[in-house]
Amino acid sequence: MPRKIKTTIVALSTPHGIGAISIIRLSGQKSLEIANKLTRTSKPLTPNKVQYAQIWDADRFLDEIMLTYFRAPRSYTGEDMIELSCHGSPYIIETIIDLCLLRGAVPAKPGEFTQRAFFNGKIDLLRAESIADLIAAKTQSAHRESSRQLLGEGGTQIQSLKQRIIQIISTLELELDFSDQEISFTPREQIQSDIQSVLTDIRSLVKTFSYGKLVRTGLYTPIVGPPNSGKSSLFNALLREERVIISPIPGTTRDTIEESIQKDGYLFRLVDTAGLRDTDETVESAGILRSRKTIRLADLLLFVVDATADMTDYQAVLPDKTGKTIIVINKSDIADLKTISNLQNKLAGYKTIVVSSKKRAGIHELSTLMVNHIKAHQPSGDEFVLTQKRHFIALKRMSVFLKHALTSSSQLATSEMIVIDLRLALSCLDEILGKTVNDDILNNIFQNFCVGK
Amino acid sequence: MKRTDFDIVVVGGGHAGIEASLASARLGIKTLLITLSIDSIGRMSCNPAIGGLAKGHLVTEIDSLGGEMAKAIDATGIQFKMLNRSKGRSVWSPRAQADKIKYSLYMQSVVQSQVNLSILEDCATGIIVNDKHLVGILSEHNGDISCKKAILTCGTFLNGLIHIGLDHFSGGRIGEKPAIGLTESLIHEGLTSGRLKTGTPPRIRKESIDFSKTIAQYGDDNPFPFSFLTENFSPPNIPCFITSTNPLTHETLRGGLDRSPLYAGIIKGIGPRYCPSIEDKIVRFRERSSHQIFLEPDWTDAKEYYVNGFSTSLPLDIQENSIRTIPGLENAEIVRPGYAIEYDFFPSYQLNSYLETKKIHGLYLAGQINGTSGYEEAAALGLVAGINAAQSLRNEQPLVLKRDESYIGVLVDDLITKSPEEPYRMFTSSAEHRLLLRFDNSDIRLASKGFEIGLTPKSVYENASEKKRLISESLRYLKTHALSSDQVNQILSRLQQSSITNSVTLFKLLCRPVVHFQDIEDRLPSDLSVNIGKFRDLGAQIEIESKYEGYIKRNQLLVDSIKSHEGIRIPPDINYRNISSLTIEAREKLTKFRPETLGQASRISGVSPSDVTSLLILLRK
Repeated sequence: MPRKIKTTIVALSTPHGIGAISIIRLSGQKSLEIANKLTRTSKPLTPNKVQYAQIWDADRFLDEIMLTYFRAPRSYTGEDMIELSCHGSPYIIETIIDLCLLRGAVPAKPGEFTQRAFFNGKIDLLRAESIADLIAAKTQSAHRESSRQLLGEGGTQIQSLKQRIIQIISTLELELDFSDQEISFTPREQIQSDIQSVLTDIRSLVKTFSYGKLVRTGLYTPIVGPPNSGKSSLFNALLREERVIISPIPGTTRDTIEESIQKDGYLFRLVDTAGLRDTDETVESAGILRSRKTIRLADLLLFVVDATADMTDYQAVLPDKTGKTIIVINKSDIADLKTISNLQNKLAGYKTIVVSSKKRAGIHELSTLMVNHIKAHQPSGDEFVLTQKRHFIALKRMSVFLKHALTSSSQLATSEMIVIDLRLALSCLDEILGKTVNDDILNNIFQNFCVGK
Repeated sequence: MKRTDFDIVVVGGGHAGIEASLASARLGIKTLLITLSIDSIGRMSCNPAIGGLAKGHLVTEIDSLGGEMAKAIDATGIQFKMLNRSKGRSVWSPRAQADKIKYSLYMQSVVQSQVNLSILEDCATGIIVNDKHLVGILSEHNGDISCKKAILTCGTFLNGLIHIGLDHFSGGRIGEKPAIGLTESLIHEGLTSGRLKTGTPPRIRKESIDFSKTIAQYGDDNPFPFSFLTENFSPPNIPCFITSTNPLTHETLRGGLDRSPLYAGIIKGIGPRYCPSIEDKIVRFRERSSHQIFLEPDWTDAKEYYVNGFSTSLPLDIQENSIRTIPGLENAEIVRPGYAIEYDFFPSYQLNSYLETKKIHGLYLAGQINGTSGYEEAAALGLVAGINAAQSLRNEQPLVLKRDESYIGVLVDDLITKSPEEPYRMFTSSAEHRLLLRFDNSDIRLASKGFEIGLTPKSVYENASEKKRLISESLRYLKTHALSSDQVNQILSRLQQSSITNSVTLFKLLCRPVVHFQDIEDRLPSDLSVNIGKFRDLGAQIEIESKYEGYIKRNQLLVDSIKSHEGIRIPPDINYRNISSLTIEAREKLTKFRPETLGQASRISGVSPSDVTSLLILLRK
């Protein structure tokens, strides 16, 4: 009998990254219930049959999928399981997993499916198949392997970071373990500048994460502005102009309306904040505060103004001149050219564009401008883009330890103390690249230095 | 002598055998030491030195556990030096040049006068096993010798094969015969052997050296002894001499490579990469035009000098011609040639943490037979094996040292979880808890264990306890007492440091790299500082504990996750092949190594964190 494990787990079973098809698995008592909630099928789910289904988030269509229900105990884990194949877009995958989580599943830990299979005495049954491969795919090392595949070209960049840290550690360990020998040791300044250079490279890698995240989850793009400037009409005009995708975060804020559009492969999560101020005059100040929060969270801000309105009406609430704002001068159809150009002069320093939501004029140009905005964040050339949060966190932690090492070094700490932080830094990369053992460091020493009397 | 009188038989009188037999006898066990020659007990086959980086730590740990090596070198050393002085304390390591003749005589005298310990000159040729239990040793001249436990410490003698150029002949050491039969007997009982190689440089006649062309190198003026028992330490300070090879030397050596047993492929055993021969150095590091050479006296007023840095197995004519290209050695006469030696060892995955073989109960292996190199590593292993064989007979707890309490613990754990394939040498970088393991606090770390077992003298144990108390009392005081900024600035200005504006605890002040214990000593209560002053060097130890504290805490981040598994024991009869949640590789490795704890399992290469998790689940089930 399967052991009673209360939680239902969910995970992506295929490697992260964009592929034609991705497989998401659910295992646990609530698997079927969750699947029923988020899919629409013509027939009820039947065990061991591959079925066509659509994924719906409440009343929004997300994707067409193939789905298989394995009824306990006849599944890999011995529990009720759902295996679904969706289209391999990171956005779709993340949304489906989010929906599962929302409906009561928890993220599976590495190897957890196998652990459950093991608990339930299921693994023996699988022996006929190429069991080693199956299991290996579920173990952490395979997880790392797939991370390595994911990293691809960029992997070499992280790999080289690791090599450089190992090199620095080796020069220090050489001092500690072979100081009795005729070896010229690396000057401390050199070690500091080596650490500094790794740190610099990590910083630029970490910076790419924000771009990676934009690509993965889309740009949070609120449409804000004074009352009656035409926010909702702009919102609708953009939806009409571009391909609409359902929103990844539905209804998180009840009084906003969110829709996503795709343009040139980039995803924009448009938020109509009309509800914030237009409907309730008495909570104006609260509305402004909320607007401000929305503005702060924005990846791209569309600030809509009425071309015919007096600027003093909204001057106070104009956002700072950060690079993330586009001021959309709306209602060009009813304003005269002189007024518009005056307004543009007053808004010098802002990125501005003149549109008419009503006539749908300038909307296409606006979306091109929006795409250019994200492209401006794009790292140059073939630079590796960090998309995994796990990797981002690992590198962030790594830079903290490297800074420690630099501080220690500049404060005249001796090598064995500096090495502590460097080894901690190295261990952060283990998350991404697999375990480093002391032998790796000794091997490096033996290869590169003539030690031994 | 009746051949049935002994409970423990130790085979081999080298550095491992000495510690093993002394520990066993001192714990009250009737012990027999079988050696090929009593005169060779405690002989230094290679360089005349004890200690060195990480090895010095092993020696002070041996001392804290009641072993003999530290006392012997303190009594017979001719030059003492603290290595790594410019680094932090945890990596300071004492090293001494030995008078190898006196050292050997010292050990012979200790062994011969030890109660409960008999010595027999003979050659052990096999083990006698009954139902997986060791019951005796076969000897060449004295027949069967029955015993309850045996400790094999055979060094390089098992089927030893000496190479000089393309010539090779049997021998355990130059001029000594090998041990034949024992390897085959162990294999017959189901153990697996391997082959290793090591080498030694030529010795040259003192009168043939022109010392004026070399640089004399002395030891420390006021050196640290190895042993916590040594008092009034004022050893001799006899110099070594430094010279170096040059392109002509290398060219001459290259001319003999076609007759190198190493490059001709005759030597099959694996040699240590950290101790390459001179021919290996010039081949692998072709770009280097010079290598340093140390001329070390083999004893006081030595007639022979050891050519450190010139280990070789090239033919004698090449050895001679190349050595004579070295400044100061133009007329050098080689009195003993350099040579390589291949010998059998038993890969250490076959041992448990008591150094007992898993296949044969009561059979212990220690020293080079485990795949290690170095006198200190051998002595440490001999001590552990001797203690554990005796403890087992006495029905007492075995000695298993942890990685965070000693280098010996790291050594044994590395052997049983990594089973090195090249001769294993201790490095400080192998100890992930390096900051905790100082040469100067070995007694604080280990004396209580040694005392409890019954080997460490009471005085060492009591001193260690007092030092421990004084350190923690001092740290408590330093952390709870602050100085005003004026007081601090007084100290800082004396040290030419910029001033501060806040008051700061004494502890924080002492954490600064430039501030030393003597700078704040007068701020401690006088009775405390008087007591600290009773111990040489204790102030410096309090200082380093303060400076290290933050780093030790951060280091804990690295090692904590592993540590939680240390206490979880794995049943010895577990069938890994049936645990399908393990990867195939993990199943194989675990079956081979049979770790005793989950902590050990996690350190075996090929066993992944998820394998460890699977095991954890299984063990908890």
